[in-house]
Amino acid sequence: MSIEILNAGLQTTLQGAPFTGHRHLGMPAAGAADCLSLALANFLVGKPQGAVAVEITLTKAAFGFRAPCSIGVVGPAEYIRINGQDRPRHETLTLAAGDTLDIGPGRPGCRTYLALSADLEADSLLGGQSTYLAAGLGGFHGRALRDGDIIPLSRPALPQNLAGSTPSGLRPHYSDDHVLRITPGPEAGKASDEILKNLCLRPYSVGARASRMGIALEGALLRMGQSSDMPSAAVFPGTIQLPPSGQPYLLGPDAQTTGGYPRIAQVIRADRHLIGQLAPGSRIQFVETTTERATDIYREKLALLSSWLGQIKLW
Amino acid sequence: MAELDPTIHICDDWIHIGLPDRKMVPAVQTTLTAGEQWTEIVPGLDSIAVQFDPALISPDDAAESLRDRLAGKPPKLKYSENIVVIPVCYEDNLAPDMKYVAEKLGIPPVSVPSWHTAQAHRVAMLGFMPGFAYLESSEEIADIGRLASPRQLVKAGSIGIIGRQSCIYSFDSPGGWPIIGRTPLRLFDPAKPRPALLSAGDTVRFQSISRHAFDRLQQDQQQ
Repeated sequence: MSIEILNAGLQTTLQGAPFTGHRHLGMPAAGAADCLSLALANFLVGKPQGAVAVEITLTKAAFGFRAPCSIGVVGPAEYIRINGQDRPRHETLTLAAGDTLDIGPGRPGCRTYLALSADLEADSLLGGQSTYLAAGLGGFHGRALRDGDIIPLSRPALPQNLAGSTPSGLRPHYSDDHVLRITPGPEAGKASDEILKNLCLRPYSVGARASRMGIALEGALLRMGQSSDMPSAAVFPGTIQLPPSGQPYLLGPDAQTTGGYPRIAQVIRADRHLIGQLAPGSRIQFVETTTERATDIYREKLALLSSWLGQIKLW
Repeated sequence: MAELDPTIHICDDWIHIGLPDRKMVPAVQTTLTAGEQWTEIVPGLDSIAVQFDPALISPDDAAESLRDRLAGKPPKLKYSENIVVIPVCYEDNLAPDMKYVAEKLGIPPVSVPSWHTAQAHRVAMLGFMPGFAYLESSEEIADIGRLASPRQLVKAGSIGIIGRQSCIYSFDSPGGWPIIGRTPLRLFDPAKPRPALLSAGDTVRFQSISRHAFDRLQQDQQQ
């Protein structure tokens, strides 16, 4: 009872819910970079939204099934093929033992999620099973999957009455262009008044230095009005830091828990799942909003999603 | 002691609490742990951040409950009485920047270990990696800067020093701190009920050990 990794692609990891309540120990969130696509994939196979699944980054990947299994694939993958036959995204699909699953490259966008009705065997720690690559913890031996890896499956029985098909109105639109809404960070006020205006003036693009830890943004350089030295303080996924180079840096799910660069802005929780779909070359238009508005947007988004997914949260 | 007059800044689903005195951080952290609505409570060097779920509580209500909690009572300076002894081997290839640090301090390399073990260090915070500890020395220390170019690989357990701060690397990682020794102890073990060896507020004493003792302790740790 297992799946074999026939083609691991650029970076394929096991990811589910983030680690929570351990940031004061230096333990980052990790978990699915796009928690909405993960939740939609898991729902197709009857799993809770944070169940551990396979996160595939940018390139194609292939899997050999050694047990019958239902799957849901959600993300920007160009195609899904079972034994060479094209199959749809956003639908519950069933494979027999011996079947091969090919998932196409994720363009435009970045990460595709493969959820399984069977449970993937993953290392458990601190109440979670997601992979935190930098410290080699969780997931499949703490690392990205490689060609030839075999992941044991438990609970392989094929469940009945699975969701079937994600309603078209809830299928995410994967794109190279993103609008991310922000609220001012703690050090935004210490900078010149112009800094957030300039951040939101023109789109930034995602540079080659992009990973689950963070993304260097290319575009107008920003300057702090005064010295940029500050004592290290907490940062979170979605925090935008401003290093002395003036090139803003957007933190991702694997971001460290504290940092010493000014925190000029925070991507709002409702939009944070989009960070997982940013690929080198993607363009981002930042738009400033208020914390009150951000909360309304978040609650409206949850209400919309809960009509299909039930009780859900984003992170 | 200064009044507790925190600056509060709301960033969407987390709140930055700036404190007028870094000595207040551990006390405020303890005060907040009692509250149930914070999903994360993260100390910085002179601040604390709390995160909440905006589906359950609005940012304004969260900030108000925070102000209530902190209002009026400058928390007592409560230091953890936890003293942790960290054995360190300051020899050879475990201490690649010993010469650089000794030069900055103006003492011979052979004297650096006793200079380092003589100081009391306090854990200011954890960060960077799970269990990675930032320590502050009780001494004013000469200006020891970051390495001009960071190393691709710093081994877990390495002790770095920059100015009056020391750090202990908890995992193999890239890093820019000058390294003066290495401990065989594991800084982070997720299988333990308390995964991090150190907590903010702990006092650390370094103890110099031989290479032989280092190898033996490292073997013990791996078993």
